[in-house]
Amino acid sequence: MLGYYFKLALRNLNRNPGLTTLMIGAVALGIAVCVMTLTMYRAMSGNPIWWKNDVLYAVTLDAWDPKEPANEDRPELPPWQLTYRDAMALIESDIPKHKIIMHKAIGVVAVDGLRVKPERALTRVTTSDFFAIFDVPFKYGGGWAPRADEGPEPVAVLSKKMNDKVFGGENSVGRQIRWNDREFRVVGVLDHWLPLPIFYDVNNGSLEEPEDVFIPFGWNVALELQSAGNTNGWKPEEIETYQDFINSEDIWIQMWVELPDATARQRFQAFIDNYVIAQKKSGRFQRPLNNRLTPVDQWLIDNEVVGNDDRVLVGLAFAFLAVCLLNTVGLLLAKFLNNAPITGIRRALGASRRQVFMQHLVEVSVISSIGAVAGLALGGLMLMGLRALYTVDPTDGGGTQALAHVDFTSVATALLLALFATVAAGLYPAWRIGRIPPAIYLKAQ
Amino acid sequence: MTAWNIRPIASALWRNRTGALLVAFQIAIALAVLVNAVYVVKQRVDKINRPNGMDVQNMFVVASAGFAEDFDYDASWREDLATIRGLPGVTAATLISNIPLSGGGSSSGFQAQPGEFNPETSVPANTFEVDEQGVAALGIRLSAGRPFEAHEILAPTDTYGSAPQAIITKPIAKAMFPPNGDALGKTFYDGLNKPITVIGVIENMHGSWVGWDKLDHVMLFPRIKSGPNAVYMVRTEPGRRDALMRTVEERLGNSHPDRLLRWVRPLTYFEHQSYLDDRNMAIFLVSVTSALLAITALGIFGLATFNVSTRIRQIGTRRAVGARRMDIVRHFLVENWMVTTAGVVAGCGMALGIGYWLSVEYELPRLDLYYLVGGVFGIWLIGLFAALQPARRASAISPAVATRTV
Repeated sequence: MLGYYFKLALRNLNRNPGLTTLMIGAVALGIAVCVMTLTMYRAMSGNPIWWKNDVLYAVTLDAWDPKEPANEDRPELPPWQLTYRDAMALIESDIPKHKIIMHKAIGVVAVDGLRVKPERALTRVTTSDFFAIFDVPFKYGGGWAPRADEGPEPVAVLSKKMNDKVFGGENSVGRQIRWNDREFRVVGVLDHWLPLPIFYDVNNGSLEEPEDVFIPFGWNVALELQSAGNTNGWKPEEIETYQDFINSEDIWIQMWVELPDATARQRFQAFIDNYVIAQKKSGRFQRPLNNRLTPVDQWLIDNEVVGNDDRVLVGLAFAFLAVCLLNTVGLLLAKFLNNAPITGIRRALGASRRQVFMQHLVEVSVISSIGAVAGLALGGLMLMGLRALYTVDPTDGGGTQALAHVDFTSVATALLLALFATVAAGLYPAWRIGRIPPAIYLKAQ
Repeated sequence: MTAWNIRPIASALWRNRTGALLVAFQIAIALAVLVNAVYVVKQRVDKINRPNGMDVQNMFVVASAGFAEDFDYDASWREDLATIRGLPGVTAATLISNIPLSGGGSSSGFQAQPGEFNPETSVPANTFEVDEQGVAALGIRLSAGRPFEAHEILAPTDTYGSAPQAIITKPIAKAMFPPNGDALGKTFYDGLNKPITVIGVIENMHGSWVGWDKLDHVMLFPRIKSGPNAVYMVRTEPGRRDALMRTVEERLGNSHPDRLLRWVRPLTYFEHQSYLDDRNMAIFLVSVTSALLAITALGIFGLATFNVSTRIRQIGTRRAVGARRMDIVRHFLVENWMVTTAGVVAGCGMALGIGYWLSVEYELPRLDLYYLVGGVFGIWLIGLFAALQPARRASAISPAVATRTV
C-alpha cells in the first residue's frame, strides 16, 4: 500500500508545480539556514575534547588585586592565567595523572642546508604531558620525557603543517632545526589536529589553529622567553630583569590537569587551597580564597567563547525555520484542499480516514525529503559564502578552517530536526483532509 | 459605510481561519525579527563607522623579527627607518610598540594626584611607544601642544614603561583634569608614582581593542620599541600605499640574513579583522531577514491565491449581481489587510519581548519605538503588494462563471 501512496505522491507533485516548488523551496531554505547556523555555532562553541570533560580541568587561582576582581563583569571568577612562580609550585604535585603548564611564544624556524628562507612559527612552550593530556595524535615519533623539561633538552615537536612546509612531509624525527637561531632536534611530528574552538588557550581568539612548534617549558628561563599571548598585571612593580619578571605578579601561564576521579579532584583542590593559604601568610593572595578546577565546557562559557552573537544567530535560525514550517503547513493545506474533490471520491469508494491520512503523510514525507536534500546542498553553498566572509587574508589559515569542512554531527542534527519538524507540520493538513465529508464533492460532480 | 463590507469579510475569513492564522503567525515572527534585526544592524554599522582619528587608508605596518643570537637590534631599526623614510611618497614612519585597532596592546592606570595607587579612581589608558615621527605617522590631529622631538625619544626598555612626557587623547584629559580637560603642561602620575608631563593633546584616536568602552583612551610615550622584534608604522601620500608596501617588502626582505621580515600589511587589514564579527553579523542579519521577508510574502501570496481559487463561483456570483471589479479587488485587499494586521499586533508584542531580551543580553539601549512603527508600515506594504496580483486575478473572473455549473 505504501508503494502505491508513494507513486500517488510523486504524481501529485506534478499537479500544481508552482505550489510544489514553493513548498520544497521553503523547506530547503529553512534547512539550509539551520545547517549553516548550527555548523557555525558548533565550530565556535563545541567542546572539542568532550570525552575528557569529567577528568580534564583548567587550574586558576585568585592572585589578583585585593581591591578589585580580575574581570569586573564576572567578579566571581579568578584570573584566567597563573603567575610563573605559582605555576612552577603547582606543577610539583603528584596528584594529577597528567599535568601541564605552558604558554605561547613567537619563534622563527630554519633548517640548515634545506631552505634559505626561515619560517615564522608560533610556538607552544610546554611541559611534556601536553600530548598525553589532550590526546594529541602523532604521525611520527612522540613527545619528550619529563626530564627534557628540566635540562632543558633541545628537542622539538612539529605540527603536520610545519613538517610539510619544512621537510616536505617526510619523517623528520632525528633531524635538526634552528629555532630562534638555536639547534633543536625533532623528536615527533603531529598528525592532523584541529581542536575547535582552541580551548586550551583562549587568549587570542578561539578559531585559531594550534601552534606549529612545541618545545620544553624549561627553555623559558634559558632563553628568557615571553608570552606571545596576553600578559596581565595589576601590581605596579619595578621589573628590570627576567628574574624580576618571573617573580612578579604578572599572569601569563596556563595550567591544565587530568584528575581521573572525584577523590583525586578533592585532593588536588585541597592541595591548591593549602598552597594559597600558605602564600597568604607571606602577604600574597589577599583576595578571598577562590581557586578553581574548571572542566572544559564550563571553561568555554567562563571565557565567553560562546558569544552572545552565536546565541542570537541560533535563535534567528529557529525563527526562520518556524516561518518556513508555518509556510509549509499553509501551502500543504491549500494543496490538499485543492485536491479535495479527488479525496472525496476516494472516501466514497471506500478509503478509510486512516488510509487517506496515511496517503497524505507519505506525500508530505516525499516533499520534505526533496526539500531536505535541496536544503543540504544550499547549506553547503551558504557555508562556502560564509567562509569567504570570514577570510581576512587568503594566505592565512586561522578561523576559516573551522568552516571549511561541514561537520557531520551538526548536519545530521539539523537535517533530522528539519525533517522531523516538516513531517510534524504535515500532520495537521493530512488529518484535516481526512475529516472532509465525501458527500459535498460528490454532489458537485 | 457598506462599501468596505468589513463585517461580511471578517466573518468569511473566520469561517476559513486556519490558513489565515498560519499566515498571521508568520507575519508576527517576521515583524519581530525584522524590527530587532534592523536595530542590531544599525548599532553594528554605527560601531564600524566611528571615526578613529587616524589616516587609516594611507597607513601600513611592517613587522620584522631578529632571530640570530648576535642580532644588532639598534643598528637594524635605524637602518630600516632610514630606508623607509627615504622612499619617495612616504610621509612619515615610526617604530611603534603595538598596532592600533589590532586587538593587541597594553594598558595601565594613571592618576592625577601623587600618592598610593588607587585602581578605583585611576584613569585607564592604552599606551603606545612611538618616536618623533609618531604623530605624523599615525595621521592624528593635535588639538593642543606639539609632537615629540628627536632628543626626547628614550632608549628601549623592557621595564614597566611610562616616560616623563606623554601625548594624551582628549577623553583622558577630561577624565584626569575635570571639568574642561585643560591638560597641556600639567603633570599626572603612573602606578609607580613617577610624574608625567602632558606635552600634547590628541583630538581623537582609537587604541587597540575595538570592543573596549575606553577605546579612545590613548597615550603616546616617546620611546623606542623594545627588541628584537621591530614594528614600523608607515604613512604614505594618498594612493601610494600599495606600491610602497611592495617596495618596502623588497628592500627590507633581503637586507639582513639574521632577521625575518614577518609581514607587511595595510592598517585596514587590522581594522577589517577587528570589526569582522560585527560586519559579518550585520551581513548575516540582513540576508536572513530579507529571506524571511521574502518567504513571508510568498506565504501571504499563497494564502490569497488559495482564497481566490476556492471562491471562483462566489466571486462570479457577486459580479453577476452587480459588484464592480474594484469591489472584488477591495474585498481581497481588505481581507488580506485584516490578516496582516492580526499578525502585526501579535508581532509588536513579540518584537518588544525580543528587544527586551537583547537589551539585557547586549546591554544595549531598549528598542527604539520608531523601528517598531517603521516595521509595521513595512509589513503592511509587503502584505499589500503580495496580495495585489491574486486580488486582480480575482477581479478578472467573469460573471458568467456563476451561471456555468448551476
